[in-house]
Amino acid sequence: MVIPLIKRLVLLIMLGGLLYGFILAMNDLELVYNDFGKEYFLLNGLRETGSLNLVTGIYLDYRLFDSLFEAGILLIAVSGVMWISQHKIQEKNASFMLDKQKTPELFIIFSRLLYPIMLVFGFYVIINGHLSPGGGFQGGAIVATAILILYYIDITKTIDVKLILTIEKILFMALVLIGALSFVTTGHPFTNFIRQPEYQAIYLMTLNVLIGVKVALGLTAIFTAFLKEGR
Amino acid sequence: MSSIFSTENIALALQILMIIVALFIVFYERNFTIIIFISVFSLIAATLYTMNQAPDVAIAEVAIGAAIIPLIYVISISRQREFIVLDKSRHGFVDPDETLEGVVYDVLNEFVTTYDLKLNVCCDIEGKEEDLTNQLNVDLIISYDAEHDHYTLKGKSSSVLMVNLRKLTKDHKQISVVTFKDGDPID
Repeated sequence: MVIPLIKRLVLLIMLGGLLYGFILAMNDLELVYNDFGKEYFLLNGLRETGSLNLVTGIYLDYRLFDSLFEAGILLIAVSGVMWISQHKIQEKNASFMLDKQKTPELFIIFSRLLYPIMLVFGFYVIINGHLSPGGGFQGGAIVATAILILYYIDITKTIDVKLILTIEKILFMALVLIGALSFVTTGHPFTNFIRQPEYQAIYLMTLNVLIGVKVALGLTAIFTAFLKEGR
Repeated sequence: MSSIFSTENIALALQILMIIVALFIVFYERNFTIIIFISVFSLIAATLYTMNQAPDVAIAEVAIGAAIIPLIYVISISRQREFIVLDKSRHGFVDPDETLEGVVYDVLNEFVTTYDLKLNVCCDIEGKEEDLTNQLNVDLIISYDAEHDHYTLKGKSSSVLMVNLRKLTKDHKQISVVTFKDGDPID
């Protein structure tokens, strides 16, 4: 009788503390929400990064260090899913009824129609990341969805997950190396290594393609692990 | 510009719709309908992102929230709804349309219809029984003793379904239920 009451009181006090901190933070909003950053990026963003889409300019140039860890988080998540769902029994022996069931014919035909369009749109979003909304992560997710549609066309299709994970690791290493290349040319690590403004788009496109392929492979690997886990 | 369809009013309507859909997701009971609602929620969120001049975030929200996460949920839930049985007394290929007969299958069909599951019978998988249940999610292993005309059903002791199956088979003399411990590999 007493212990639940104490628990509730402690919870109430903690919530009150949170509310007090929130109110304190609200008083300083003037300091936090200002236009200095926005005005700087609007004035100098295109000139310094060579990217029309300022979001891409920020995450691939000004804040590339943060983006590298973001890419690393996905890699760690994929590795964790792989490790939890590892199998010792050979997949060839396990053929269940669900694998023999047929997907509806209409669904297969629509998937076949949609698959190339989605693939092309995904690559368009990746490659035009510095010109139009989108970028590596978004395009990679679209490409991954396109690959996942293949499972509905033919469910017996198998993908070698270990190979995918190896490719993803190599891509991540390439990402870090290209990011660090700017230390040689400009003296600052993790920015654009090309100095001429006309050619800076090459760097942005390369990094977007690397991130896009990495995200697409990672999401496909997670999905494949989920499919195999149920078998 | 005080028409009903001004941008602010549309944004307000979408926000109210979003709250309603979120409440539906929490309180609705049928799983596959909930997945569609999750997808709808992401689409509304993406529309609001676009209205607030964040197209980059909107594309990510549509691709992840409205396509990949529902796909993963569909796979996981449809796999959880089936009751996978490994029949060691049978040999060869099991046809999906074949009606299975026998004392065991009468019991199992009754069991499956009471708990709204889908029976999935397979055979010809080699391996230790612990490995099969732990790694391939086989729920039940049937073995047949021809001398005494006796069936043994084996399953995990941690499964609630096994307790219910034992209650159901109490009156049958031909069938006995055996459970074995399964350790959780990750502590």
